[in-house]
Amino acid sequence: MARPDRRDPTQIRALHCVLGQLNRVDGSAQFSAGDTSVLCGVYGPVDVKLYDEKLDRAHIEVKFRPDIGVPTTKDKWVEDAVRSTFEREILGQLHPRTLVQINVQVCQGDGSVDAAAINATTLALIDAGIPLRAMVAAATCVVRSDHSIIVDPTQEEADSALSTHTFAFSNLQTNSPAYVDSRGEFSIDEYNACYDMCMAAVDRTLAFMRTAVEGKILKETQTAL
Amino acid sequence: MADVKVVVPGDAIDTHTEEEESVLRLGPGLIQQAGKVNAIAAGVLHASSDTNHFWVVGNRRRYVPAEGEPVVGVVLGRHGEGYRVDIGSAHDALLPLLAFEGATRRNKPNLAVGATVYARVSVANEMMDPELECFNSHTGKSEGYGELTQGFTFKCSLGMARRLLNAKAPVLNALGDQVPFEAAVGVNGRVWINAGAPEKTILVVNAIKNSEYLDGKQSKQMVKELLGKQ
Repeated sequence: MARPDRRDPTQIRALHCVLGQLNRVDGSAQFSAGDTSVLCGVYGPVDVKLYDEKLDRAHIEVKFRPDIGVPTTKDKWVEDAVRSTFEREILGQLHPRTLVQINVQVCQGDGSVDAAAINATTLALIDAGIPLRAMVAAATCVVRSDHSIIVDPTQEEADSALSTHTFAFSNLQTNSPAYVDSRGEFSIDEYNACYDMCMAAVDRTLAFMRTAVEGKILKETQTAL
Repeated sequence: MADVKVVVPGDAIDTHTEEEESVLRLGPGLIQQAGKVNAIAAGVLHASSDTNHFWVVGNRRRYVPAEGEPVVGVVLGRHGEGYRVDIGSAHDALLPLLAFEGATRRNKPNLAVGATVYARVSVANEMMDPELECFNSHTGKSEGYGELTQGFTFKCSLGMARRLLNAKAPVLNALGDQVPFEAAVGVNGRVWINAGAPEKTILVVNAIKNSEYLDGKQSKQMVKELLGKQ
């Protein structure tokens, strides 16, 4: 079954990102995959409310807003996804009793929005200089009605899928994913196939993110004395 | 640019040295985990081979206090034995009432709320609120620290502030040739400028802000154009 945009099953959409475009936050990044575009702004480490203060590490707070309408339960799920992923990656113990606030705004949604949110957040945290154990990138796979598997689905492809799987991996050499979310009816073989496909897609996304970050660093370096 | 090594979080750092058992010093942006050294920030990796010192230099906007650094702060209020000063860090800093040159219980400076101060960070660790002093506690001299009156304070990135602290900073030297002004640069990304008249102060501030992404030659050219437009 051919894909509407004629992509191969393992082909992700064209990636694009802009780092540091917001000037009132500590770090920002806009990450786009095809028509899906997500902007993330990060503050941290900043002062924290007494209620949320943690004595031995930073408090991580995530706010996720969809492109259209008010935030609903589905968006709270993405907040939880981003928060649980980055609570493990951000070295919060270096900044106890502070807050790291991650604000994610969907600019344009066309499938794989939660993966884009994780990718944008990694880049924004790097832009802000917040200490991270590793870079984390995510990708989504869906199992279609004919049980074929495709990576980086558009909204149209995701809506008609039997199951959706989002995986995030870090650039540390471990096999365990940083985030897993699977919905729908699927077999263990389908799950494993999605796992492998997402890992390959994440490798390409991590390479892209590295190039983007290196470009920014080199540009800053050449203006230094 | 062949010798510039850029690292991103998660990169393993090769810290192999000639001697088998030597002490390794890890600076900002690096962490030791399970016997390996990894980068935790994105930036250029620097290594000093004779002192086994490794660190990562990357630009940021949010200041994290470190002992000994000069900062520009704004007085928020007076609490007990000191002033609460905003230096842009996660927690406000404490500036003791007697941490000024020649201050005694009977003779101590009286800073108003909103006053700007140039101070040195005397205590900074992740567990405590930072503390400042407006003099060198070893010599007892102010050494340029203290209240900054008049003038104008603006914010810039931390990397920009460090470049400005270099005596050879192109934009400051190009401006200084034509316009007399005083500057106090805080590594917390705050810069105080006083050039007498407001127009001159604004001109100096704009020139410095413009120079963030310009190299030395471009900065000189930009200053020339800005001064020419007056």
